[in-house]
Amino acid sequence: MLQGTLIYGFVNSVILALIALGFNLTFGISGVANFAYGALYIFSAYTAWMLLTWLKINYLISIVIAVLLTSLLGGLIYKFILLRVRGMPISEVIASFGIGLSILEFFRFLGFVGSEYTLPVFIDGSVSIGETYIDIQRLLIVVIGIALVSILYLFTHYTKTGLAFRGMAQEERTALILGINSDKMATFSLAIGSGLAGVAAITILPLGQVAIEGGYSALLNALAVCIVGGLGSTGGILVASVLIGYAQTFTATYIGSHWMMIVSLIAILVILIIKPSGLFGKQKELEERI
Amino acid sequence: MKRRRFLIFVVLAFLICVPFVSQAQLKPGDPVIIGVPTFLGSIEGGESLKAVQMAADEINARGGVTLKGAKHPIKIEASEIRDGAPGVPVPEALLGIEKIILDKKVHAIVVGPFRSEALMATMDLLSKYKVPMLGTIAMTPASEAKIIENPEKYKYVFRTCLNSKYFAALLTGVMADLNKEFGFKKAHLMNQDVLWARGTTAALKGWYEKNGWDITGHDEFPTGASDFSSALMKAKAKGAQILFTCFDMPQSGILVKQYKSIRVPALMAGFISPMAGEVAWKTFDRQIGGLLNAIFELGNIPSVKYPPAMAFYEAYKKKYKDPIQSGHGPAPAYESVYVLKEAMERANTIEPDALVAAIKQTDRAGVIGRVKFDAGNQVVYGTDPSKEAVAVMFQWSEAGERRIVYPAALTEKKVWAPEWVLKPGK
Repeated sequence: MLQGTLIYGFVNSVILALIALGFNLTFGISGVANFAYGALYIFSAYTAWMLLTWLKINYLISIVIAVLLTSLLGGLIYKFILLRVRGMPISEVIASFGIGLSILEFFRFLGFVGSEYTLPVFIDGSVSIGETYIDIQRLLIVVIGIALVSILYLFTHYTKTGLAFRGMAQEERTALILGINSDKMATFSLAIGSGLAGVAAITILPLGQVAIEGGYSALLNALAVCIVGGLGSTGGILVASVLIGYAQTFTATYIGSHWMMIVSLIAILVILIIKPSGLFGKQKELEERI
Repeated sequence: MKRRRFLIFVVLAFLICVPFVSQAQLKPGDPVIIGVPTFLGSIEGGESLKAVQMAADEINARGGVTLKGAKHPIKIEASEIRDGAPGVPVPEALLGIEKIILDKKVHAIVVGPFRSEALMATMDLLSKYKVPMLGTIAMTPASEAKIIENPEKYKYVFRTCLNSKYFAALLTGVMADLNKEFGFKKAHLMNQDVLWARGTTAALKGWYEKNGWDITGHDEFPTGASDFSSALMKAKAKGAQILFTCFDMPQSGILVKQYKSIRVPALMAGFISPMAGEVAWKTFDRQIGGLLNAIFELGNIPSVKYPPAMAFYEAYKKKYKDPIQSGHGPAPAYESVYVLKEAMERANTIEPDALVAAIKQTDRAGVIGRVKFDAGNQVVYGTDPSKEAVAVMFQWSEAGERRIVYPAALTEKKVWAPEWVLKPGK
């Protein structure tokens, strides 16, 4: 059972990292805590489901269109709503949370409730690792998670836009002096962050079901990982994902499944008490020292 | 001065009483208003409303409800109370129910709260406004205990659907059969952390212990959970032969897929709401063969051995161009409208006290079996549809058919277990 717990704990960690990547990227670059993130996650999954089920479009093409549409929606949200409240963190949170609620509850209004909203797994079947059986989709999640982190690293270190992102993340005013259009970059960061939410949804949700409540729990998980790891720190979210992922799996296995869901909440509370900036966060470090 | 005070008192008393009095009297042609406040966003709630509307349409097509020689059509007023959605507090559901009582001036309620927690809190409200309710989703037997304890106050609350107590009886019957057929004696329990599911699982756990079964573990999941892998691994590691499941959330459907991926060599039996309808076979990629799933009320599944259930199921499918997906709710919701209609005609009034007395006398052959109420205003459930209402257990075949395997009076096929469950080593 320990072997199984270790394997499933690792998969759970990658799932958390995948969910948090987009939220973290957006915050790290634009400083916007996108509380519509969970809604964009579910938007992507429902869009893929609609394209696949209603329009009978090939699954791969449906996925690509869904991710692109999610990305576009994220960019538009920034361009037409969040840009107007940029620099006012509370207004940004309220606006993005309001948008998220509207998207999710609009799906509920349209009747997207029930068990028929499932996405097919990429490859069906399971394999055994030692004595533990694991479905291939979970292995693919691990592969996609690792690939995505690597691609993001390469993108932010070796492309012009990526370097501009990092410039923005380090010091926005200096980046402006160097000719980096901060509004344009922030729009891109929202779009890419939303696209990452879409990729996470399309990869993870075939394991479960597309449900409106999934949007709220995705946001909660993304927040937990980012707060524990430190907002804006990619290394931090990887470490936090592993910590929370394993804590959840061990709790479910050895204490009780019932307690699994509160692990991330406890993690948030503990980190806020001990180190409010998160394990690798820089946002409030100076204030903390004082 | 005293006279003035007395007059004010009389006027106030009149103003308070008038709404109830006017609500209890109908002019010829006035509609009988039936409220359906429930979690309409759920499959159970949505389909129950459709079933209620279907019954109302049928009754209206025949002229409606006859009271004192005059015909009254039935009008349905639905309200979304979202009490089954994660995180929605009970007071929000109560507000929704109070609103439909006061704004729509309903004469009776059917379906009612989705969550038992909301039902318990609603009972006082129904008593306060004297509105009879025939609940068809919330299942806790605690409401019956409350009625038996204070029958005068809570006499307005009835239930036509299955309750947890009868559900546990269905499950113990099935488990006894599985023990007899395959020698199974080790079970792992998995349930949603909500009142009815906790109650059902606790009752079954007690039965297992009393009958010498080995319980390998018990996992409870909050509403909304969708990762069951840890519990499944535990069940596998401890050699469970039966995986008992008790869930009513949409996310629970994925449990069967995860169980197959992890290859737990145990027979899955219980209730997973998304597995109840015939569309589940396609939704879950044809991977649910062998699963034993309860249908809480006959009629939500057709039975060749009980024509009224078959007729209802087919009529619903014809009217709405889709089969019933939920295993709980629609059939008793449909039945409840007929129970109300007949009770109103027996009482010859919609006056609440007379109406509840007439509901108590109900004895009809309905789509769920025979409908009679016990002392706790609960429809009596058993195993013979000619004598009681019936809940059934069906099993998915490898060809995607639902076959009733319990009770014996309705059995269509003998229960079977996949080879990888019977011989886990292979």
